[in-house]
Amino acid sequence: MTDTLQNYARRTRRYDNIDGTGEMYMGIMVLAFVLLGYLQAILPENSMWRYRFASLVFAYAVLLPVLAFGYWGVRRTIKKYITWPRTGYVAYGHCGKSWWSNIAALVIALVVVVVCANVERLARHFHAMSLGRAVWMAFNVAAYAFWILFKSKEHPWKRLIVVLMALGLFAIAFIVPRGDFDSRRPEMLFIALTWLASGVATLYSYIRHTQPPAPESE
Amino acid sequence: MKEQLRAISELDRVIHEPGRLMIVALLAAVKECDFLFLQHETEMNKGNLSSHLARLEEAGYVEIEKTYRGKVPQTLLRLTRAGRTAFDQYRKGLKAAF
Repeated sequence: MTDTLQNYARRTRRYDNIDGTGEMYMGIMVLAFVLLGYLQAILPENSMWRYRFASLVFAYAVLLPVLAFGYWGVRRTIKKYITWPRTGYVAYGHCGKSWWSNIAALVIALVVVVVCANVERLARHFHAMSLGRAVWMAFNVAAYAFWILFKSKEHPWKRLIVVLMALGLFAIAFIVPRGDFDSRRPEMLFIALTWLASGVATLYSYIRHTQPPAPESE
Repeated sequence: MKEQLRAISELDRVIHEPGRLMIVALLAAVKECDFLFLQHETEMNKGNLSSHLARLEEAGYVEIEKTYRGKVPQTLLRLTRAGRTAFDQYRKGLKAAF
């Protein structure tokens, strides 16, 4: 009974992504980093932006904050003019969440990042680049699958996107057989576009299936 | 068995009503929301929702604030501290009962 209550209350968390803005955010973030990678690839060999330190500083000190603030504005605009007038306004706080659950989430995220960062190195060490690539691809498909499981249960068609993402990555692995980091760009581009397309489709579906109430309704 | 019966009899009747339980469960998960959101999520009509909210406000569980979003009137709703405590106790009571 209390589990049913908890599940019901979780609807409010899923509501945050009812318009697909969460997926679009993920897509735009990944896309920006992929485009940065492509840009670095066409720069001259002696350009300072090809060095790891300069590119890291640019990515984390400039690109990431610009993306975060820029998208915060876009997301708020979508919410203000599309979502809130149609299905209502919600402000989230720390309600119902204890501090240890936030710390646990942070620790799990750190462990996942460290494991993922080292998969490449381990795979190179054991001459198993294809294994490293498979783990990397599986991680990305799993990340999307978890997202729709917890944030977008109301859209069963997204299960098809999980399958399409897996098949697409598999196809790219055949077309671009090398397994080093540079050859991952087409995969990441595909992943970014999948997230973005999923978000745009969710927004389109949301707009089609909802209408703002008449002005005198409240 | 006696303890279970007592737990059932001690359940908060204001929250126990299904419509109000839905409202309180939703409000407990957010900082604040508006009337339209509750209407969308509970699928209740305006009259029903208003009367349940009035009952919850009367019990001191919900705070209702009439405001404007631009030129559009907006009714903001949030659970009070007493409301949160009552909901936590209700959940514990329900667990003990079953």
